[in-house]
Amino acid sequence: MMLELTRVYHFSAGHRLANPALGPEANAALYGDCHRPHGHNYYLEVTVAGRPDPVTGMSVDLGRLDDAVRARVLAQVDHHTLEGVPALAGVITTGEGLARAFWRLLAPAVPGTLRRVTVVETAKNRFQYEGGEG
Amino acid sequence: MSPHASSTRRFGFAAGHRYWVEAWTPAENGRVFGRLTVPHGHNYTLDVTVRGPIDPQTGMVIDLAELKRIVAETVVERFDHADLNADPLFRGRVPTTENVAVAVWELLAPKLGADRLARVRVWEDPTLYVDVRGEPPGGEPSGEMARK
Repeated sequence: MMLELTRVYHFSAGHRLANPALGPEANAALYGDCHRPHGHNYYLEVTVAGRPDPVTGMSVDLGRLDDAVRARVLAQVDHHTLEGVPALAGVITTGEGLARAFWRLLAPAVPGTLRRVTVVETAKNRFQYEGGEG
Repeated sequence: MSPHASSTRRFGFAAGHRYWVEAWTPAENGRVFGRLTVPHGHNYTLDVTVRGPIDPQTGMVIDLAELKRIVAETVVERFDHADLNADPLFRGRVPTTENVAVAVWELLAPKLGADRLARVRVWEDPTLYVDVRGEPPGGEPSGEMARK
């Protein structure tokens, strides 16, 4: 039996998609509307794997998980412009890019084993990163 | 061979619980579980996913009416408006979200077949859910109920 626990967090942030290697016209052509500064009400889902402790029934200390996510991610990004967040330097702030960047921030910090990071950009767009660099 | 697919149906039950280890003193329980030691409750949401071949006659993986009947009889009638700590399933087992999901899996696997039951997802509230699955293909089944 495999068990995974997922906690859902929320933050609001501004961003724009741009590749710093490209000029304004090329970026506008590549990213279209997303090149204009705008923002989202993001949801961040953090999934950790683990077996429930036989005594406490808890697979992970939720307080420690919440603290780690707040300190490593939410405090950096909530009501910020993502392009100005030091922890996201060099990241193109697509949903995929954010999921991977958040994974790197969270993997060493969360209790248990990080299994998946999901960034929900809008109700229609959902991005998942499960680690591995391939 | 018929193509495989999975079907998920959503259920809900409202239940009470508290985090409490009988073997511990009240002070120990308070230190570890804090406010969770106080009896309270949740509107749980349960997503049950069944995986299998699409029946060529019916076009279904499972008749959702059958799934609804099984889950209602096995889980919802048992847990809805119930005190989870009083259920024998949680004797010596704290009704955390993890253990509620494991208990639902243990109740449903014999009814649906551990090979058909793909996933049990229990939402305690909109910010927290736990998934229980069988072992991945090729993996050694370890949970008692992961065995057919």
